[in-house]
Amino acid sequence: MSPAQLETWERPATLERSVGQSVPRKEDGRLVKGQGAFTDDLWMHRMGHVHFVRSPHAHARIVDVDVSAALRVPGVYATLTGEEVRRLTDRYLQIAPEPGGRAKDYCLAVDKVRYAGEPVAAVLAETRELARDAAALVEVEYEPLPAVVDTLEACEPDAPVIHTEIGSNVGWHGVYDFGDVDWALEHADHVVRIPHLHFHRFSSTPLECNAAIVNWDPGTGQIIIESNQQMPQFAAMFMAPALGVRTDQLVFRAQDIGGAFGIKLTSYTYLTALALLSRKANRPAKWTEYRSEHLIGSAHGNERTFTDIEVPVTADGEILGFKANAYDDVGAFMRYEPLGGVIFSQVLPGCYRFKHMRVDYRTVVTNKTPVGPNRGYSRLQHLWMIERIVDLVAHELGFDPVELRKRNYIRREDFPYETPNGCVYDSGDYHAMLDRALELIDVDAWRERQKAAEGTGRRIGIGIGSTLDSGTSNFGQARIINKNLPYSGNGEAAICKLDLHGEVSVALGTVPQGQGHETTTAQVVADVLGITPDEVLVRPGHDSARNSYTAFSGTYASQFAVTGIGAALGAARAVRDDILEVASCVLEAPKEELLLYGGTVSVEGDEDRALTFAEIANLVYANQGSLPPEIADAVTLNRRFVYRAPFRVPDWRSKSGSLTLTYASQIHACVVEIEEETGRTRILDYAAVDECGTVINPQIVEGQVHGAAAHGVAAVLQETLEYDADGQLLNGTFWDYHVISPPDTPMFKTDNIPCPSPFTPTGSKGMGEGGGGPLHAVCSAIQDALRGTGAVVTDSHNPMERVWRLLHEPPSERGVEVRSR
Amino acid sequence: MLLPEFEYARPETLEEAVALLAAHRNARVLAGGQTLLNALKLRLVKPEVLVDVSRVEALRGIRVDEQGRLEIGAAVIYDELAADPLVRERQPVLAEMTSRIVDRQVRARGTVGGNVCLADPTSNYPPLFVALDAVLRVRGPEGVRETPAEGFFLAPYVTALGPGELLEAVLLPPLADDEGVGYESLQVGTDSWALARAAALVRANGTIRSARVVLGCGSVPVRQPAMEAALVGREPTEEAIAAAAELAGEDFEPPTDVHATAEYRTAMARVMARRAVLAATRGSR
Amino acid sequence: MSVTPATTHAITVTVNGTTYEQAVQARQLLVHFLRDTLGLRGTHIGCDSGNCGACTVIVDGKAVKSCMQLAVQADGREIETVEGLSDPLGPPDPLQAAFTRHHALQCGYCTPGMLMSAKALLEERPEPTVDEVRRGLKGNICRCTGYVNIVRAVHEVGGGPEA
Repeated sequence: MSPAQLETWERPATLERSVGQSVPRKEDGRLVKGQGAFTDDLWMHRMGHVHFVRSPHAHARIVDVDVSAALRVPGVYATLTGEEVRRLTDRYLQIAPEPGGRAKDYCLAVDKVRYAGEPVAAVLAETRELARDAAALVEVEYEPLPAVVDTLEACEPDAPVIHTEIGSNVGWHGVYDFGDVDWALEHADHVVRIPHLHFHRFSSTPLECNAAIVNWDPGTGQIIIESNQQMPQFAAMFMAPALGVRTDQLVFRAQDIGGAFGIKLTSYTYLTALALLSRKANRPAKWTEYRSEHLIGSAHGNERTFTDIEVPVTADGEILGFKANAYDDVGAFMRYEPLGGVIFSQVLPGCYRFKHMRVDYRTVVTNKTPVGPNRGYSRLQHLWMIERIVDLVAHELGFDPVELRKRNYIRREDFPYETPNGCVYDSGDYHAMLDRALELIDVDAWRERQKAAEGTGRRIGIGIGSTLDSGTSNFGQARIINKNLPYSGNGEAAICKLDLHGEVSVALGTVPQGQGHETTTAQVVADVLGITPDEVLVRPGHDSARNSYTAFSGTYASQFAVTGIGAALGAARAVRDDILEVASCVLEAPKEELLLYGGTVSVEGDEDRALTFAEIANLVYANQGSLPPEIADAVTLNRRFVYRAPFRVPDWRSKSGSLTLTYASQIHACVVEIEEETGRTRILDYAAVDECGTVINPQIVEGQVHGAAAHGVAAVLQETLEYDADGQLLNGTFWDYHVISPPDTPMFKTDNIPCPSPFTPTGSKGMGEGGGGPLHAVCSAIQDALRGTGAVVTDSHNPMERVWRLLHEPPSERGVEVRSR
Repeated sequence: MLLPEFEYARPETLEEAVALLAAHRNARVLAGGQTLLNALKLRLVKPEVLVDVSRVEALRGIRVDEQGRLEIGAAVIYDELAADPLVRERQPVLAEMTSRIVDRQVRARGTVGGNVCLADPTSNYPPLFVALDAVLRVRGPEGVRETPAEGFFLAPYVTALGPGELLEAVLLPPLADDEGVGYESLQVGTDSWALARAAALVRANGTIRSARVVLGCGSVPVRQPAMEAALVGREPTEEAIAAAAELAGEDFEPPTDVHATAEYRTAMARVMARRAVLAATRGSR
Repeated sequence: MSVTPATTHAITVTVNGTTYEQAVQARQLLVHFLRDTLGLRGTHIGCDSGNCGACTVIVDGKAVKSCMQLAVQADGREIETVEGLSDPLGPPDPLQAAFTRHHALQCGYCTPGMLMSAKALLEERPEPTVDEVRRGLKGNICRCTGYVNIVRAVHEVGGGPEA
């Protein structure tokens, strides 16, 4: 579909007053005082505590689960086993079509365990300590099976099959083929071939682990879930059929959530187990995950291996496209997968004008912790591959990495830009962003220092990372994975109302975990109603019984500034219309002559003719007899609005269509220093320039850039989740999983270049995930530092030893080869 | 995260502490707890009794004894050690290194004794104390004995402390005017986990008279006699030290684990050994 | 405090100016004592190996990780938690206000530990440089902010030079 057919919205005229300001956050008042209500802070009367028994084996048959010893311990209220779960619940829905969709997934292991750490049984007891001690008495007999841990090995015909119902370990397979890459490869002046690239497994590890208190009330049938689940309606769509309940029996509540980053999305399995325990024991069941449990039993980021990459390039540096095989390792259960198999295609050509692309994509299950849509989900891995391609083309063919990027970037005048697979990039200016990033680090001075450092035992490298943060997904893309899935579009809901005394409040469908929704929503609503953000109460957190929502409600995937704000905006405007309707009637003035300012509606030029919000509220709520009937019937001052993203259903046959509404971008420039003797890599300078359309709150946007960049730096230099050949996670505590600390995180230099989106209500774009810029930029910088050695950076994770080996142990095969005509 | 059940006692005197350790076979000494508590959380150890010696005054002091040795009580906290004027004057490398252990919170609680007695292969003090030819004063049911640090560390997490014994103090011989100390670590991040460590005590006066070079991050701290022999009699030039460091790695058994291979660790141990000796000869005193 | 080993001990501890006498289990960590026994939920738990610092409180003037200390070991000590920085219903203290001004928190989970660490740091090392702040906060992990704004806030309150 052409960009012109997408709808655009008018922008409200009052938008400049609070929007655009770095309004101090409303959330902070309680959070800096330790008055936040995080799930573990909560109690329910009579609640018990849950501890899960987990499999020590990566792959095994369950022969027997004996909970009798645990049940004999005084103070133990109930236990739950896989056998009960099989009887009491239906297996979870699967997103994958056949055969992947046949996988059996329950909240506890049934018949088999498929990853070390998989919950096998649960104990509910009076105290945490008791639950833990009793859980140690549960006896499970296993018959170990061979485990498969390597992604490519899992695809071999003789690999142990993890889900026998699927028949193989390939959960989904699809080929994305646009343009004519074979023609391009045949006719290009150069073909750069990269046999193998590997994007590693890591996690954003939110500081607060998963937690929930679930109470299945026998009287009302309501299942109250106080938790930090970040996409409650997604959870509901899985839990309700499994439990055999109505979705509206599931009441999700959260106030403050200590970070989520996509990792708290697939926790519905634990919530299901808690619901069953609660019903069984007739009391609330509370569970707070320990960090070591979190690292093994929650979710990891996707690991992706790329093979047989070929890149056709013309003599003057036009990169015509690429082809690659992609193997996405999703661990033992697919859950949110294989959506990753289409989501990467939102950014198929990355920031570039590539025309000919083929990606042969497989979703592969292995005996490892299941993945969740970790920050940057699926685009991160793909964009990293693209930046490696561009970087290596520059190095191998002798192009300047800056000039090569500029030659191939989508240009400012190309936007809105339709990619070969029908995605529409709304706006951007990658050239200006790259220039600015290089300016921020004073790249010329670093080139001088780089030369001066030659031969001193320290190598300086300068790298660039170009990345996108596609936001507001068209869930119709799920049909590209499975044509039978009845999903399309995207939307978010909000309620805005005046209360009895004219106070303005808003309830969102979103589930914030630190993104400042209360504040940015208040800014937007304040501008619509002519008041200050302080006067707008945005209900903290989420309560599905109180708030309004759509199936896609939640906070994930970089969309709040579009969908959440769009909903709040629409609801606020509807309330404003109600206010004007009443005021126009009472003040006997046409609406066009009315001003909203400071909580009052007045007649322009005659400010004595005015009504306060309180007076208007009184008329509507408590004094309806004073209003003409037609006004009293039309006006409610309580408006629900659903922002609907202007999508149609993509074409699953051609795997194309408009898959995301907005394309925020970031261009990073980074300087590293490698100590040759040790491979120790330090970041000496770092700049991140971002573009996310109209900025509602500059400080909040910058904060997201910092946070995403810190995650990226951590991943490329020190964070990784590694397994041994038996499927044992080798670094399952914060002792061995090296989360980056303050002195090792650069004081990022940032700048923002706004290119308002033509497609969104405020011109804003979602931007929280970031796109993993540092993974691309630091790999690029290491590559630059290793210039002249022949070494090729082929891994996204580059700790000291790997860099040392790149320097000191050139592999027998270089990792890249060039074929030129 | 949750500890197993145990009994806790907090003696006020050394005698009470020793008596408690003697009376309870499965007792452990608790001081700062900055590593023991983790071991308890992970249920790696299950003591019946924890004997908290952190407030036993006799273990808390820093002084110089009659032989001129710097005596550091086992329950001296990292912060105290790093700030102590005697330590800063007589063992500046020790003070400096201590001021960079992990983070401020750990430095406010962790103790010298805890670090030494835990004998974690990556611990900070064991290689340095072996290089400094430290002596450990141990008190037990049979009385008090002094034993060299060299030989005290038997295996990962295993020391020569006998049943019912308690580390009382670490004694560091005075440094001669021509002696220098070096201590180098290769860490994953600032003040963070170590992949390689080396400590050196070098006596040089135009030429190197003697050298003690110790590698950490193996299973136990281990002297490097071949490297030491290659240093003695040479001028302390970069080339000579580098040549000698090629011989480092004797009896050195680092692990291959998720963080690094044994091969890399060994190569890095040589680099650290070279740097430590270099630093020692440049008057790190 | 007893020389005789016991599984429960009576402790006297002053928290934010109020003195408590409590019997505690020896196995109880200080962080659980603060959160569960005293109901001071501002101090948070982020890991189970003493690496994240979310549980940082001030004991006798020093920042410590309350998950790496037994409640019994706090006997006789003076403890400050985030709840004591300012009146619960009153304005924030200068450090808290600086955090808001600089957007030094997003989800707020690390914030109490970060504030207590910063407070102790500034008391012990007044006027730190930016790098001294960065290193001084080494024991506190944040996953949201990337630390930049936290460092700016603490540095500003400290009033020290850039470098």
